[in-house]
Amino acid sequence: MSAGPDISASPIPVRVARSRGAGEKVKTDLVNTTAFRLSVGYTLLVTLAVAVTLGSAYLLTQSLIADEVDLIIDTEMKGLNDKFTRSGLSGLTDEINLRIDSWGRVGAVYLLVDEHYDQIAGNVEQWPFKGMPVERRPEFTLSTIEPGRRSSHPVRAEVRTLPDGNRLLVGTDISQGQRFAEKFRVATLWGIGLSTLAAALAGFWFSFKLAHRVGDVTETCRRILAGDLGRRLPVAGARDEFDALAIQVNRVLDRLEDQTRTVRATFDSAAHDLRAPLHRLRTRMDALLLRSPSLEPAVHESVESALREVDRLQRTLAILLQIALAESGAPLAAPMAIDVGELADELVELFEPVARERGLTLSSTHSGDTTVHGNRQLLAQLMTNLIENALKYIPAGPGGRLELSAARLDRCVRFVASDNGPGIPPQDRERAVQPFARLAKGQETHTSGLGLSLVAAIARLHRARLALESNEPGLRVVVDLPLEQPD
Amino acid sequence: MHILLIEDDAEAAEFLVKGLRESGYEVSHAQDGREGVQRATEGQFDLVVTDRMLPHLDGLAIIQQMRQRSLSTPVLVLSALGTVDDRIRGLKAGGDDYLTKPFAFAELLARIEALLRRSSSGAEATRLKVSDLELDLLARRVVRGGREIELTARELKLLEFLMRRVGQVVTRTMLLEGVWDLHFDPQSNLIDVHISRLRHAVDKGSENPLIHTIRGSGYVLRPANT
Repeated sequence: MSAGPDISASPIPVRVARSRGAGEKVKTDLVNTTAFRLSVGYTLLVTLAVAVTLGSAYLLTQSLIADEVDLIIDTEMKGLNDKFTRSGLSGLTDEINLRIDSWGRVGAVYLLVDEHYDQIAGNVEQWPFKGMPVERRPEFTLSTIEPGRRSSHPVRAEVRTLPDGNRLLVGTDISQGQRFAEKFRVATLWGIGLSTLAAALAGFWFSFKLAHRVGDVTETCRRILAGDLGRRLPVAGARDEFDALAIQVNRVLDRLEDQTRTVRATFDSAAHDLRAPLHRLRTRMDALLLRSPSLEPAVHESVESALREVDRLQRTLAILLQIALAESGAPLAAPMAIDVGELADELVELFEPVARERGLTLSSTHSGDTTVHGNRQLLAQLMTNLIENALKYIPAGPGGRLELSAARLDRCVRFVASDNGPGIPPQDRERAVQPFARLAKGQETHTSGLGLSLVAAIARLHRARLALESNEPGLRVVVDLPLEQPD
Repeated sequence: MHILLIEDDAEAAEFLVKGLRESGYEVSHAQDGREGVQRATEGQFDLVVTDRMLPHLDGLAIIQQMRQRSLSTPVLVLSALGTVDDRIRGLKAGGDDYLTKPFAFAELLARIEALLRRSSSGAEATRLKVSDLELDLLARRVVRGGREIELTARELKLLEFLMRRVGQVVTRTMLLEGVWDLHFDPQSNLIDVHISRLRHAVDKGSENPLIHTIRGSGYVLRPANT
């Protein structure tokens, strides 16, 4: 019961409210579906898993490459160190030159400098650091001029101070490894991106499909509630859990339709059986009046008054049948777009002369689009009953007043009939909507006591919320008619 | 004018047949749906009055069969159901009017007359004239004997309804249905008040009133001096 401001101050919530909103169109924004949330979660999980897998592979590969480079550097440094130990500086210089000129390994960098960092030997001219680097494996960039282009190479190195104070640098061009790592990284990122995309697409498709099928069910239920009892849930033939559900729900609907049909048939024959004798009675009296124009005036008058009673009985019967029909849960007949405010205007116009004769001021106001999905005849009957009640219960004479108003609220159209008559005491309000409830004791009016119960029945048929309140003084009847999208 | 009455309730039927004959109609009676559909589809009737619930074949089925055979004979449905959706079903099936049992014979008579006249009348005129009363629907102007009459939109509609049925008795229920589109009976004497207002506007000070009350039935608008 979230629609409209709740009027729970003092008025009683009449039982009409029980099925409030049951048939409103449920908006299924894809974003709000469970399937969508699940697939978003699933996408995130896939992304995380792929990122962890590829990321650790990347890090592992990178450290493997670095380890391999370090091993080579270590080995060479050890060899050159041994050479220095064995053959001194000249031996080391020769060895370095040899390694540079001969088939050495690709990308090898050697530099031997004195304590002023001036080159003694090597394939690099300048000491790349300021003094001795602190790191164990310093890295630097080497710019070379090869035929036609200038290029820079990242180099990973090890430096060592020889026992004679000279310094030896042994390094390896790691540009290839870095290029490889770079490619690996790009591939990793692409991998993560593509798998996220794939998971998201699959998830979106999945949630769309799910939302679609659930939406079918929702829409079908809405239509059934709106009176299309013959409608059934679609069975896709996929033999999945949705089909299983649809088949079961359809069985329930079959039974429901069956029951409704039985109720309708019972109702029809009851109406027929009640009206047929009434019809014969009326026919006989009609015949009597028509055939015997020479009836004694007294007899004529009493037959006519009996006829009036028959008509009253018929009206009461019609209202009772309408209430019974509403109670039976039968759907609203032929609903269509009805402007409640306009209808109130028309009825006020219809009743205004009669009301004026009784000294009652009738008026109507409306604001906003007050169109609802409903049955014009029944809504008119609802208003008529409220107006007739006011005519009946508000004492004749000037000052009496009944105002009808219709206003568009957030999720409903609120129709209010407020008068300044005697009102209904709070303890009687719930009873007032029951058939044949006579409230004001000893009141001698020709009321059938059905007026408000018919109002309640019609409100229920429209899934409206009905409340009887105090108008301080007087009676205020509030009918909140739910907005429903036309098909 | 030949009317076919399809009604299974013997007593009600007898009264209706008698009453209609006395009112100058030729009447044939069918007792159940099967006989009814057979005779109705022969097609020589000016009007069919059928009960809604009949043995063998439903009244609505009879109308459907008639309409399938392109018979445009007007049909008046009599129903003991009288619910809002039953009325809609009746009209949807192709019925032209719907009357809930029990009804006053005068009501039936007025509706029969309206249906018979309707089927013979041509396109809707936009200027209506009865004696010295003129109604121009396009200009929304009413003139009686050269004197312009101010009417509300609803009064205009009411007058139009009566003028289009000049000489025919129009019941209160017919007016409620035709002018206000209300298909139920409010308890008050609403229509009488509206008619008396209209009468006051149209006939006031005239030696030849046009709007007359028919006791026990309703109202009629008649040309003066007839």
